[in-house]
Amino acid sequence: MKTQKLPTLALSRALSRALSRALSSSTTSAASESGPAFPVKTVTTVNFEATLSELRHHVRASDFVAIDLEMTGVTSAPWRESLEFDRSDVRYLKVRDSAEKFAVVQFGVCPFRWDPSNRSFIAYPYNFYIFPRQEHTGSGPSYEFLCQTTSIDFLARYQFDFNACIHEGVSYLSREQEKEAITSLNSTYDSEWSDVYKLKNARDIPLVSMADILFTERMKNRFSEWRDGLLQEKYQENQIQGISEDSKQQLQVFFFKMHPALRLNGFTSHQLKLIQLVIRKHFKDLSYVCVSSEASDLQHIVVYTDSKDEHNLLLKEVKEENCRAAQMKIQAAVGFRHVIDLLSAEQKLIVGHNCFLDIAHVYSKFIGPLPVTPEEFVTSVNKYFPHIVDTKILFNTNLILQERMKGSRKSLASAFALFCPQIAAGSQSTDLGSPCHVKVDVEVDDSRSSSWNPGVKHEAGYDAFMTGCIFAQLCNDLGVDFKLHESSQQLALNEKLKKYVNHLYLSWLHGDIIDLNTGVKVADSSPSQSLKRRYPKIVFENIVIVWGFPSTLKASELRECISKVFGSTSVISVYHLDMTAAFIQFSKTELVSDFLLVKDTLERSDGPIAVLHPLAKLLEGGNTCAADYDTYKEICSSPVSERLFADQAKAFGIKWMTKLVEYDLAPQEEEHENPSVQGDLNTAVRFAEKAKPNTISQLRNDPPSKQVSSYGIADSYAAEANL
Amino acid sequence: MAASLFRSLSPKKIHRSLFTTLSSSKWKVKQVTKHNFNDSFKELKTHISDSDFIAISMEKTGSSSSCHRLLPFDTAETAYFKARRCAERFQVLQFAVCPFSVTHSNNLVAHPYNFLLFPRDELKLGMPTYSFSCQTSYLASMARQGFDFNACIYDGISYLSKAQESVAKIRLGTAFPSLRVMKSCSASTVADMVFVERIRSRIKHWRKTFENTSTSTSTSKDEELISSLRNIVLGNEQFRSRPCLTIDVCSERQVQLILEMLVDSSDILPLLAPGKGGTARAVRIVLANSKEDKDLLERELQNLEEEENKKFSGFREVIDLISASEKPVISHNCLNDCTLIHSKFIMPLPQEVDEFVNSMQMIFPKVLDMNYLMKEIGTSRKVSNLPNAVSYLNNHFFAPVDMEIPDQATVNEGKIHGLNALRLCYLFMKLCSILKISPSVAESGNKHLAPELEGFTNVFHPCSSNIQEPFNKDINVWTNNTRKVSCENVVFLWGFKFGQTASMLKSLLRASHDIFSGEFDVKLVDKSCAIVVFWEPGLSKNFLEVMSSEEISGDLKELVSDGMRVTCYETYKTMCRVGLWEMDLAESLERTLESSQSDTENGSVRKTYDIHWYNENVINMDDL
Repeated sequence: MKTQKLPTLALSRALSRALSRALSSSTTSAASESGPAFPVKTVTTVNFEATLSELRHHVRASDFVAIDLEMTGVTSAPWRESLEFDRSDVRYLKVRDSAEKFAVVQFGVCPFRWDPSNRSFIAYPYNFYIFPRQEHTGSGPSYEFLCQTTSIDFLARYQFDFNACIHEGVSYLSREQEKEAITSLNSTYDSEWSDVYKLKNARDIPLVSMADILFTERMKNRFSEWRDGLLQEKYQENQIQGISEDSKQQLQVFFFKMHPALRLNGFTSHQLKLIQLVIRKHFKDLSYVCVSSEASDLQHIVVYTDSKDEHNLLLKEVKEENCRAAQMKIQAAVGFRHVIDLLSAEQKLIVGHNCFLDIAHVYSKFIGPLPVTPEEFVTSVNKYFPHIVDTKILFNTNLILQERMKGSRKSLASAFALFCPQIAAGSQSTDLGSPCHVKVDVEVDDSRSSSWNPGVKHEAGYDAFMTGCIFAQLCNDLGVDFKLHESSQQLALNEKLKKYVNHLYLSWLHGDIIDLNTGVKVADSSPSQSLKRRYPKIVFENIVIVWGFPSTLKASELRECISKVFGSTSVISVYHLDMTAAFIQFSKTELVSDFLLVKDTLERSDGPIAVLHPLAKLLEGGNTCAADYDTYKEICSSPVSERLFADQAKAFGIKWMTKLVEYDLAPQEEEHENPSVQGDLNTAVRFAEKAKPNTISQLRNDPPSKQVSSYGIADSYAAEANL
Repeated sequence: MAASLFRSLSPKKIHRSLFTTLSSSKWKVKQVTKHNFNDSFKELKTHISDSDFIAISMEKTGSSSSCHRLLPFDTAETAYFKARRCAERFQVLQFAVCPFSVTHSNNLVAHPYNFLLFPRDELKLGMPTYSFSCQTSYLASMARQGFDFNACIYDGISYLSKAQESVAKIRLGTAFPSLRVMKSCSASTVADMVFVERIRSRIKHWRKTFENTSTSTSTSKDEELISSLRNIVLGNEQFRSRPCLTIDVCSERQVQLILEMLVDSSDILPLLAPGKGGTARAVRIVLANSKEDKDLLERELQNLEEEENKKFSGFREVIDLISASEKPVISHNCLNDCTLIHSKFIMPLPQEVDEFVNSMQMIFPKVLDMNYLMKEIGTSRKVSNLPNAVSYLNNHFFAPVDMEIPDQATVNEGKIHGLNALRLCYLFMKLCSILKISPSVAESGNKHLAPELEGFTNVFHPCSSNIQEPFNKDINVWTNNTRKVSCENVVFLWGFKFGQTASMLKSLLRASHDIFSGEFDVKLVDKSCAIVVFWEPGLSKNFLEVMSSEEISGDLKELVSDGMRVTCYETYKTMCRVGLWEMDLAESLERTLESSQSDTENGSVRKTYDIHWYNENVINMDDL
């Protein structure tokens, strides 16, 4: 039977959902005809320990394990969304940013095992609520994560139970965090300093108030009475006379490691400090120790010791015990990471759906900080998870499967409905199931079922189940024979699957596939990719990024004003990053440095040319910055996330307006000479002249006093263009 | 101190004050979600207008931690920068409002409300916020107190700040350009005259057709049919069953001319048809039956606009309501609450603290900070934990307060969230009673804030001095344990060995150079950074010079070679301003120095504020 503790103050909606969940697991054994809800095991702190050992068993026996994650968000700023103009390294930086900033709130794990007797798969769906609650205190400053409003709203639409997550989510520590915690623990327990620390606290409290003085005096009397009693009739009960019932509760007599001791209860921290002070000042044979144990909180004890040696021995023992207890606490704080360690240790084939981001999350949450380059990341991932397969890769790169997907949407749920219609419907009666369809049974808490109502979409447990089902079906379609496979490793090495394993979409938009074995990017040759390309081929060296221009400026206007200076064919494409930032792809690489130079020159001058120049429209407001593509990458790597790219660049620390780049001239392109920075207007004018010699000379003769708005100039150009 | 008189308590009185605390567990607060917002809002409106004070309290998704938290040596400026960062990062999930009125000396009538908020993007414009930060420890402690996150996220009320509302209206093209006629600033040109004449004649002709029909038709059904047919054929438009004419315009100037022309008309109402980008696309001219009909129409449209606005502003209506009432607002952390309100509901926070204070004054003219009132009774206790503060007062002072909550019956059972605002009312009354201040003064029929309380309004300074006079050197009551020090005499120091205490550092420094022969103090800020205070003016500058000069020698040279770095208070200020927040202070200061080296020419105006040096803390921090 499933144990599910209901959050005490849960909303009725959450309650009903949890109840239906609880009901479903109780009715699965009956498999009533009315169609029970999809059985999935929900795991929170309440049942985590028990579930872990059960899951361990299922993972070991499994052929593959499907996973799915629900996060609190995907992009930390609009411009961080996946864009057409993202080079693969930039794309990785964006994924890294996402994985570092957002939290994982739900983790679906679903081991699949081939049951030869039934000729079907058995799935064991688990839905973990996780929440990084930092149970292990002292591991740095408080952890913060970001929530994207739309993502939270999205989760709410699918009835995500936030109370269960925050109240009872399983916590975790990454490997790196655990290592850090242990090092800092060792360093504190190794150094003498930490021992002194506890005693030193008491050193400098001046006895200012009368109450403190009286309290100190009273405590001194009590301790000396107790000690004297001990010395008079050693180790006998009831030697404390004159201590009232009240204080017996506060000073509880017991034996601590064979020494007579008093446990201090119900004192405030200030009072405890005073007691420490009293003990150290007036009693050579009493010592004050703090003991932390796994079972209880910190205990404050006053112990009697006969000799100095005994005292030192005692302190050492206490120190070791405290250290052990702290280690146990760290172990307990590892929490959900045990599941990840299990998947890694068993080296099972991990199945995900469009899972590059998921893997990045797994890495940053449970292994350590994400590396800077995609190559390093990929090799590191490969070490922990040697076999990963992405269902999205499978049905997009295989031509036969591609044909079947034609016209349908690529979302997980629609792929599930397409490939596994009978499972999606939940009514896979034995006679209807055609031989080409894989049969999947679900087992939760030792009760197996083969029919259910469709589960809740975007619940990690159900999503993982769907992913696994799709994978099983695709394997079947590819002709993989499960009967012949003994273990997961063999499945991953299967000839028919081999070319899909460890290939992940780095960018779905771009069709960039990365090979986890080698770190090499593989081009997606599937027909859908070639059809998808709406933009001309992107040459990153030819791109300039411009930001901080007026938000009213449209892409067409941008193109127009640049074309006026560099020629009508100079601009290949303009792509808005957000309202005030855009990429401009030039036809030639040297135009990048030319453009930046002209812009810089214009900014340095304040004469009429700067106002009348066609680029003035772009520079209006005086905040327009421009740089090459590499600067964009650098800005992307910053941990800051401002809403607008222009603000982001400022926050990143960019104080210049234009970043000039040197362009080494290729010999065949002679008509463009590499202009040196002269700091005068000549260059700007020269380039302008190339486009419209007459107009410029005319404008140059205009007296500066005459007010001509940049709009007026744009109009006159337009008029001329019409002629 | 007058307060100590109250300390002698008879057992009977203790019993009485305990009773009041116990009853607080039975207080109930009306919970407001998006489902009952409109009804509750109407209720709140009357309660606010009847009340004397309004207590507010918020629940956020996090608060500043580590070196971003308020430190004892923060000035008004740096404290504001820290509060600004906090307000921009975190989200309000709960806003408790409690209007209350004081009936007599120690009796108050309170109407507590608790609004659940969630920044849902109702208009699909990426507003009110794209994302927000959550602190896990903060959320976990909210969970321990039984906060219902599902209720908040599923049913929370959304909102838009004033600034966002205008952006949204422009983007959705529903902005109503101002109907008021602007004074024509430029002389009319010939083109203008021609335009006006043309429009005038067009309107005249258009009117004539209606006059003709109105005289000839005598409510015959056939005529009605014919007139409606004519409307269709001629393309005549109707606006709210009144004839109307649309005149396309191509510039703001033309709009202005038409409005000027029609300003004296008694039965023609010009309306602007909004286009994209907040400019008028056309002017719609509606012909009313009479002057009264025109007024009626105008009022109708105004109401419609207000309804429309509600959709945008959401919960902000409540803020607007409090602001419009101009009643004193009671908060338990003025700076944090006001920065949050300003950034979420008004507009992005300004760069400088002075601008913020001015802007805030326009929104809430009087905000009372309970922390300062609490200090007045001679305790160093902060009101950060309200239940503790309440029980502290109950245990130490005898000041019975009777609280009446009239709407208890209508409140659903078991919901006790948002009690803090109610606790604030209670605390306020208790403090007033202890300090023998009558909270409000009736003056010629109107109630005013007691003059004794005026001093506690709008205090945005972190520790002491009144913001209106931040340079005031007068020692306030609560500063008797602090020694003032100018920022100029403070030096930040980092790069020392891990685990060194302040006293170890102090002796190390004393032995290192002659500068340290005078009186100075060292205090650890965190594990890796300390501040050094020179009590003799000018020495800090000398020290900084020595540290960067080539003549550095001896032990100090050793320390610097081991990686010790120093910087002045100005760097800390820059760090707070720019928001270069790393995990610890040393790292943040280092980064600030790096970036400021690259633009030293951008010298900003230096201001000197006084900060307070807590002698008490020096001793305690020594042991870290």
